Amino acid sequence: MWTLVALGGAALIAQPLQHRLGRTTGWPLAALFLALLGAFASQAPTVLAGRPVILEFPWIATLDVAFRLRLDGLSLMFCFIVLGVGTLILAYCTRYFPKHAPDRGLFALLCLFAMAMLGLVLADDLLLLFVFWELTTISSFFLIGGAGPSAVLPARQALLTTVSGGLALLGAVVLVSVTAGTTRISLLLENPELLPDGGPGVALVLLVFLAAVAKSAQVPLHFWLPAAMAASTPVSAYLHAATMVKAGIYLLMRLSPAFSGRPLWIVLLLTTGLVTALLGATLALKQHDLKALLAYSTVSQLGFLVALIGVGTPEAFEAATVHTVAHALFKATLFMLVGIIDHEAGSRDVRRLNGLRKTMPVTAALTALAALSLAGIPPALGFVSKEKILAAFLEVSGPPWLGEALAGVAVLASALTFAYGFRLFHGTFIGPLTQPSLHEPTWQFLLPAAVAAVAGIVLGFAVPVLDPLVEEVIAATHGIVTDPHLTLWPGLSPELLLSALTILLGTVLFLARHPVDRWLHRWDTPVRAEDLFDRGHDSVVHLGAGVGAPTAGFAPVRHLLPVLALLVALGVSALLLRPPLGPRISGATVVEDWFLAAIITSTVAGLMVARSRVAAVSLMGLVGFVVSVWFLLLGAPDLALTQLLIEVLTVAVAVLVLRRLPTSFHPVRRTRTAVVLGVAVACGAVAAAGTYAFTGRRELSPGGRYFLTETEELTGGSNAVNTVLVDFRALDTLGEVTVLAVVALGLAALLHGTSPSGWTGPRTGGGPIHNEADNLMVIRVWVRLLSPIVVALSVYLLFRGHYSPGGGFVAGLVGGAGIALAHVSAPGAPLLSERRLGPPLVGFGLLVAALTGLLGFVEGSYLRSLHGEVALFDLTVGVSTALLFDVGLYLVVIGLVVTAVNRMDIPSEESGDPRREERT
Amino acid sequence: MILALGVGVLVTGGVFLVLQRGVVRVAFGFVLLGHAVNLLLLSSGGTDRREPAIAGSAPLERLTDPIPQAFVLTAIVITFGITILLLALAARGGGDDDTEEEP
Repeated sequence: MWTLVALGGAALIAQPLQHRLGRTTGWPLAALFLALLGAFASQAPTVLAGRPVILEFPWIATLDVAFRLRLDGLSLMFCFIVLGVGTLILAYCTRYFPKHAPDRGLFALLCLFAMAMLGLVLADDLLLLFVFWELTTISSFFLIGGAGPSAVLPARQALLTTVSGGLALLGAVVLVSVTAGTTRISLLLENPELLPDGGPGVALVLLVFLAAVAKSAQVPLHFWLPAAMAASTPVSAYLHAATMVKAGIYLLMRLSPAFSGRPLWIVLLLTTGLVTALLGATLALKQHDLKALLAYSTVSQLGFLVALIGVGTPEAFEAATVHTVAHALFKATLFMLVGIIDHEAGSRDVRRLNGLRKTMPVTAALTALAALSLAGIPPALGFVSKEKILAAFLEVSGPPWLGEALAGVAVLASALTFAYGFRLFHGTFIGPLTQPSLHEPTWQFLLPAAVAAVAGIVLGFAVPVLDPLVEEVIAATHGIVTDPHLTLWPGLSPELLLSALTILLGTVLFLARHPVDRWLHRWDTPVRAEDLFDRGHDSVVHLGAGVGAPTAGFAPVRHLLPVLALLVALGVSALLLRPPLGPRISGATVVEDWFLAAIITSTVAGLMVARSRVAAVSLMGLVGFVVSVWFLLLGAPDLALTQLLIEVLTVAVAVLVLRRLPTSFHPVRRTRTAVVLGVAVACGAVAAAGTYAFTGRRELSPGGRYFLTETEELTGGSNAVNTVLVDFRALDTLGEVTVLAVVALGLAALLHGTSPSGWTGPRTGGGPIHNEADNLMVIRVWVRLLSPIVVALSVYLLFRGHYSPGGGFVAGLVGGAGIALAHVSAPGAPLLSERRLGPPLVGFGLLVAALTGLLGFVEGSYLRSLHGEVALFDLTVGVSTALLFDVGLYLVVIGLVVTAVNRMDIPSEESGDPRREERT
Repeated sequence: MILALGVGVLVTGGVFLVLQRGVVRVAFGFVLLGHAVNLLLLSSGGTDRREPAIAGSAPLERLTDPIPQAFVLTAIVITFGITILLLALAARGGGDDDTEEEP
């Protein structure tokens, strides 16, 4: 656990460290990795004695997902690889990059990646595994993409491919979670019968398989890996050779006990693995770029591993384990050496490099060691693993021809491996010297590669030291105790003969390299997977654009028409398919309702046809007044009052806006009006029918009854509507006020810096009618008289709010309405000349309201109002924190109005702007 | 149930205006839709009981349902906020509030 934390912390400090130290950041980080490796090694005896180390923290208890880590043999092997290779790579970074300019964030990302990778192999929960799985994908994306502009496309390709695999994994996790009821890996593996059978079982196998195929670059999703070689060499060596691509292998090995009995699993893994091994090796032989050669080689070697997991026997897993270690060692070495060659010779094209043996003998020797391991020649570790692979294929259960066929394919692929391994060495180091001025790099540069290369050989001789690890991996994956007996020289056996055959074939291929080359370059795969990917990518982007096209644009009508049509359709179907309705309750209509409905109808009709903006504003205001009267009639005086005040404010703000706009609305085509009218009438009809059908058919709701009967007891207030708002649901009110505050800030932001000199004409003609200032005289006089009264009224309402809660809001509206009125009648009034007054007022009010809520904690919960009495002189005054809360609301509302009025107004001195022609 | 008619009329007007070109008319349409929804909410509480929801002021069976009213009170305020924001958007453009793209 703390290793993860340590790596996470390292990722955090790596960036500033890199800033300071440049490429030498690699040294402290390598030391850290080495220390962590030591920590794991100290756990090894316990784990290798068959006692996994387990750690667990609760995470999402309701889903039974926990942060479970489990270190067993299999995890231990991968941890060793991640940290061991990581140490070497970080040390290698210190010389690979120019002194001060490694890719940005490189070290931080490498640490992050190592953390994710460790988490991946340690996770004992599928969901946790998935999280780390995606983290490796993401860090890989940034590590590839950080290499420069040319790496953008490869990075995207790698991301999309591996993320699609990640999605498949997520699908598998969900499937397991739903069917098995747990995502704990160890539990699932102990009880494989929990996993689904039949159709879901097939889906599960396919999803897991797809995840692994994408991550481990198996055919047909192999193309991203060679492209990912655009990344810098340390990244390629670490992520795309030794560790990340092995995540798929790990997943397959880890889950193999649950699936190894299923024919589908075996067939998929065997065919994919062998096809990949063969194709990868062939393509590797075709490459001239050493890095691309190594990339295809990795693809091919991973294919071997996948096929071995498909075979599934303990022997096959022994082979897979040894080969995973061997591959990590020799492939990391080869990458590092290719990086060195590239660095020193300025090229990694095998056709341009020649005879470097003479100038770089150490590099040549190390390459030879690693190539021995790659080609499977004794005494390298690669030889041991190749023998094991061939033996495992030969002993596959099934018809006798199957083993022979598998081994045959393996021999062919190994022969190709041999051939390209030798081509790599021969092409680079043998032959006439063309660049005599080259010299060996510094020993620090060579050291990491040397360690890995020598380890590959030493482990070949000392291969029995791997016995306990392999034994534990088999115990973890197969649950049986075996005795692997790894030896470098197993004596004469069928696989030894096959190895000899491999070497013979490989030598022939190598000697005949010129005809083979010609033949290879004539031959091409009929379909290139990367082209398919590109085509798929393009068509998805195209499809997305097509889906978005109908809503591209700013006209509301384009966005709203489909929504409205859908709503009408829904409404109609609801009316048609409605459940049986109860009887209507009589007495629901009084005669005044008819008058109000008639006024509303005529006003709305007028509003619809109005061409003049001023007329429209007046009619809109009229509708609002009628609605508030209707509220009053329906027994909702609070609503009526609020609606009335809101209406005043809306009209006031609208009037200010209109000053900036032309006097009449845009001309509208008849066809458009007809269509829109049709839609509108349909919507209206559905709304009316729905309202008629679904309301007015029941008695008082239980909730309403509760509030009406309990309000006095619980809150001391009798007005149920207000107690609902301020006592029962005060938090909602706070939210509501916050919305207003956001609106105020939005206004300030929207209108900030806009030229207030909007539309100013046409104001043709003179005369008394057109003289605003004179026309406003009457109003101005009245406002001057009324202003103090309005302010007093608003303050009275505010304080009355103590006893009838909600007063702050209404009071604010009253005060705001007064301010708006004053402003409309006398623009540029002194109170409002300060343009920045509004937002601070709003913020302060919101703060007051929110902080008042905190006082409620004194009595147990947020926003609970505290009541008390304070003796003030001779009077006893009731004090409540609700009053403070109300003050907050009051300030917010006032602030909103002030903001709106200020920001929308045109300063009077600007009214002389050049006039514009009205649009026609 | 004449309230249903009112709702229908307001929705018709609101939808008609919301589908117009200028932001100001869209804002007005939005106001009408807000009225319509508020009346619908009140209607859902039943319109046969019309005494204000003040406990003890009348027999319980004649009091209105306070829950829809509480909804509406919030809705009014939020509608106001959105309306002002829409009007601000209308005011922002230099002298015109057309939402239609230039042909």
